[in-house]
Amino acid sequence: MSLAESHNPQEIGRPILNLGALIRTGLLYAALSIVALLVLLPLLFALSLSVQGPTLSPTLLPDFSKLDWSSFQDVFREEPNLTRWIVNSFVVSLAVTLGQLITSALAAYALANIDFPGKSFFFFVFLGSLMIPWESTIIPNYLTITRLGWKDSYQGLIIPFMASGFGVFLLRQHFKAIPRDLYEAAVIDGCSSTRYLWSILVPLSRPALATLAVYTFLNTWNQYYWPLLIVDSPEWRTTQIGITAFRSSEVTIYNLQMASTIIVMLPTLILLVLGQRHLVSGLTAGALKG
Amino acid sequence: MRKPVLLKDSVLSDKRVGLPIAAKRAVSQHQQRKAFGLALLYLSPALLFLIAFTYIPFLRSIWLSFFITNPQGDTVRFNGINYYTRILNLDGSGRSEYLQSMLTTVYFSLLVVPLGIVFALALALLATLNVKAILFFRTIFTSSIAISVASASVIWALIYSPTTRATQWIIDLLHLNTHSLLQHSSTALFAVAFMTTWTSLGFNFIVTLAGIQAIPKDIYESARIDGASSWQSFRFITLPLLTPTLLFLMLISTIQSFQAFTQFNVLIGNEGPDSATDVFVFAIFTAFWKDNRYGFASAMSVVLFLILLALTSIQYRLLDQRVHYQ
Repeated sequence: MSLAESHNPQEIGRPILNLGALIRTGLLYAALSIVALLVLLPLLFALSLSVQGPTLSPTLLPDFSKLDWSSFQDVFREEPNLTRWIVNSFVVSLAVTLGQLITSALAAYALANIDFPGKSFFFFVFLGSLMIPWESTIIPNYLTITRLGWKDSYQGLIIPFMASGFGVFLLRQHFKAIPRDLYEAAVIDGCSSTRYLWSILVPLSRPALATLAVYTFLNTWNQYYWPLLIVDSPEWRTTQIGITAFRSSEVTIYNLQMASTIIVMLPTLILLVLGQRHLVSGLTAGALKG
Repeated sequence: MRKPVLLKDSVLSDKRVGLPIAAKRAVSQHQQRKAFGLALLYLSPALLFLIAFTYIPFLRSIWLSFFITNPQGDTVRFNGINYYTRILNLDGSGRSEYLQSMLTTVYFSLLVVPLGIVFALALALLATLNVKAILFFRTIFTSSIAISVASASVIWALIYSPTTRATQWIIDLLHLNTHSLLQHSSTALFAVAFMTTWTSLGFNFIVTLAGIQAIPKDIYESARIDGASSWQSFRFITLPLLTPTLLFLMLISTIQSFQAFTQFNVLIGNEGPDSATDVFVFAIFTAFWKDNRYGFASAMSVVLFLILLALTSIQYRLLDQRVHYQ
């Protein structure tokens, strides 16, 4: 018995190996934590400034014995428009997201499922729109929206973004991946093409639609250049314009400024945690084709 | 859509019965016209919006670029290619500030792109470590995806602000005669570039990580059996196989850095030190928004379109190669 035990190297080696592995794991976690902290440093900086009270000389680290979280409430009183900005951003982002989902799904359906003359031409029209950068369209668009009297309005912020070549492209790829047999079976069973789209194709493409939705919502929420041009009066600002204007206002109260920035970041940060998978696939696909 | 199936059946039966070819063609032409109408119905919403807000404005930009405009944006007088020669300094006036701002844009991307790739590579390598909570750390590394450039600019404006003194040590270290890195002509562009690197960190990380994860595991396995060190397997396996991803990332970041606007407008505004931060997109904004020179700004935006088109076509060619490669 004892002979067998002493000759089994695994039995002897295991405790030492475990200790080594434990130290190794500990070091890995330490390295990961330090890097994570560095990546988050600007956000922690913002958080630190927001809990230091209305001081004019903030320090890098807050006094942990008296953290002052009141800035997250006060900012709504000091800047009464903040609630309105958040509502604006939600209305615009949700409307644009819904609009793009509908227009993209319809167009992608035609390109993926219907055989019609000129199909490749229309596909090229959608693909080609990706080659035109927004800088080259923004001046005429601005002139048009101004002439329509749509400055300071939801339609001015929403209507120009109701369609996207990227959305059509993304959904077409997914619709094409769904077997054609399904379509033929549905048609034999007397399913109309519109019903096939809404009750079969859309439920089956939920991941692709979620990807497009998360990607579009995030991009619209974070828009800066267009609302900057279209919005004149403070109550029509979106969150992004609001916080940057808040910054350049005369009274610079650091804790309120950072609190408002953090509040405005929350929806997209929550979206990241909940829909990371969709966001990631949307962003990488968007970059590939954008 | 019962029709296509019926058509198939009828085609089959046609053969048996022997209908005249002309009749068959009439049926199929009718069918095609019907399909075209149906397709157009589905395409029209997306098509109309894209034509109205992308294609027509784009053509109008080109049109406007040949005219002098009034402050309402109406064309006043034909101007030929004068704006283009002015931008590219071909008019013999010797004023090269627009070429200079293109050069500043190139400097900016030369700072942003390599920094971004080095950081992304480091993070992605860390994120392949085999520990339990790795998904948690990956989420943190991705977090900057969700943070808008505007929010990030507001935060970094305070980081660079003399009040918080967060970057005072750099100023002391370099013996700069300034209160803020943003106000010194030799550091301002770098400061904006560093901040930009942070905002694009999440995206760069995700792309690089996806690239590393696509490398087959058994290559590492056989290298390990052959006695390769972890540095060697990084140097001779990861890096070469990741090159297409990194090249792709390089082009994407270059295109993005050519389009960077928000951070320049929020961090610098129009008070850039010695025009050291006057990038091309910001010069367009100045001509368009502050000076209301719509024709001139349009000409600049067309020039930018051509630059981006060149970069994008390189990107597509690269993507094609990548597809063949796999």
